[in-house]
Amino acid sequence: MPDKNPYEVLKADVLEVIEESPTIKSFYLKPEKPFEFATGQFIELSLPGIGEAPFTPSSSHYETEKMWVTIMNAGFVTNEIHKVKKGDVMGIRGPYGKGYPLDKFRGKDVLLLGGGVGLAPLRCLLQTMIHDVKDYKSITVCFGARTPADMIYKDQIDEWKAVEGIHHLCTVDKCPDGVDWNGKTGVVTVLLDDINIDPKDAIAIVCGPPIMMKFGTFSLLDKGLKPENIYLSMEKKMYCGFGQCRHCVMGKYYACKDGPVFTYEQIKDEEKIWD
Amino acid sequence: MVVSKSDLIKFFDTIQSKFDVFVPYQTERENDDLVFKKYDPDKEFILDKYRTVDPVRTLFYMPSESVLPPSAKSNKRIIAGVKNCDLLGLAVLDDALLKDNFVEPNYKIWRDSSYIISCDCTDTLQTCHCVLLDNNPYPNNDTEGQALFDLNLSPVDDKFIIEVGSKKGEELIEKIKEVCSLAEVTDKDKEIREANRAEVLKKVRDINSDFTPDRHYDVITENKEASVWKDFCNECVQCGACTNICPTCYCLILNDESTKEEFRKVRSWDSCQLVGYAEVAGGGTPREHRWETFRNRYQCKYNFMKFNFDKLGCTGCGRCISACPAEIDLREVIQSLQEV
Repeated sequence: MPDKNPYEVLKADVLEVIEESPTIKSFYLKPEKPFEFATGQFIELSLPGIGEAPFTPSSSHYETEKMWVTIMNAGFVTNEIHKVKKGDVMGIRGPYGKGYPLDKFRGKDVLLLGGGVGLAPLRCLLQTMIHDVKDYKSITVCFGARTPADMIYKDQIDEWKAVEGIHHLCTVDKCPDGVDWNGKTGVVTVLLDDINIDPKDAIAIVCGPPIMMKFGTFSLLDKGLKPENIYLSMEKKMYCGFGQCRHCVMGKYYACKDGPVFTYEQIKDEEKIWD
Repeated sequence: MVVSKSDLIKFFDTIQSKFDVFVPYQTERENDDLVFKKYDPDKEFILDKYRTVDPVRTLFYMPSESVLPPSAKSNKRIIAGVKNCDLLGLAVLDDALLKDNFVEPNYKIWRDSSYIISCDCTDTLQTCHCVLLDNNPYPNNDTEGQALFDLNLSPVDDKFIIEVGSKKGEELIEKIKEVCSLAEVTDKDKEIREANRAEVLKKVRDINSDFTPDRHYDVITENKEASVWKDFCNECVQCGACTNICPTCYCLILNDESTKEEFRKVRSWDSCQLVGYAEVAGGGTPREHRWETFRNRYQCKYNFMKFNFDKLGCTGCGRCISACPAEIDLREVIQSLQEV
């Protein structure tokens, strides 16, 4: 039996495309066969003839027949992906990396701190946790964006707020005059002033732009969270997804196969983790 | 066992109808460079002397290959005249590409279909420095005591002592026996082999007498801000020759060459020394300065790979020194760091 080719690609039909914000779209994909993954693992999504890039699905791992992937137009490949329409065909391969260690989150206060497109993997985690919401002591969601127009998943906020055990807070860096906004104003860390969790035992999962992750982490440490309880999603250049292209090497770790989620404790001494 | 050189030639002449045979030949340029080429019965090959210009990696991990679907061919191959620095290089690649849950499809095919006949060095190049890495100019076993070759040849006058290192080696011995007779190794043969080995070992040591053999590699990361990096990288033009010529480098980029009919991925060599290597879509990069890029190769070879595979990514072949257009000598870089 030959080894499975790790580059094997599954065809995925694009069922729907949603414009989440001026720069972010979500794609609803149906792989040619059910695609199992663990929450927090990532896939390589390819646009035939153009290229591929790594993304964490933004839907729960309980959903294997179809998946949502939320993508910001940030470079060559994502710019082309943003031109994809319902009915087009893409390719997915994976899953790669380690998922979130949900076992370590159960019974605890769990805080999701996200900014911008960093909400995508956190939405996957949140949907998975909602499935088993009673397993967690509390779930607090703190989401930030630059402006109300940049806030993604707005239409789901009421749905999340309705789930018992979930506290949802959001903020924008600034709100232009005349725009309706019910949340706070200020960078995402301002939300941390309003939350009521036991910092010694709480778990925080942080995902967003590097600067937000950096200051988010520092604020959480100030609040008394332990470095080993702060989970960070590392964004690095990647090609293969499984530890062979070496592009994502962070010192002794590979962001792909040892991550993409690391605790702050694991990587705090590695070089330039915020760049 | 002992085989005469003329019998070995007879073996290659016969086996080449069934196996693709690769052996080192002198280049046609006016120097003493050796390169692996397909066996040609009309040309004189050189199994001993020193390492080839290109690492043997280039026969297992091509500059560009389709990985989906895999393009490697499973024709059986014999690659003879491989030196210890290249055996050690393959051991690193085996760890990186075969031993995890994800197996590199082409490398696996090339590796499985190949029989490696290594040979002791009998001479050195000015850049050879295996001794500084505690390696020898003849095979040393891996950390588990396993031989890294299928057969090894030690030149003794006009014959070779053959050592068997693996099951594949035993298979080859049977094939050799089909075309020629093998003699037993005499004490005299062994004596000559040991004398030859001692002589070449001394030669590599003499070439490297300016460098301390007691090298510490923690200093690379410990002194990551040292001026050594800035000083040496002044001359670096970021061409990537040092990584392309390295027996253990395997960084890759993937290109999607899918058509409407099928998905197709092509992998090509990449180099951490090239501009933009680690840059992400938003423009962020963990290595902003040229000296950080320059330093990365040293950290990767001596620190990261050691952590990843419990092996150094430098085998002491010295090819990066020969290939560098700026004449940067990595021995000098390491030496300077010892003295920081």
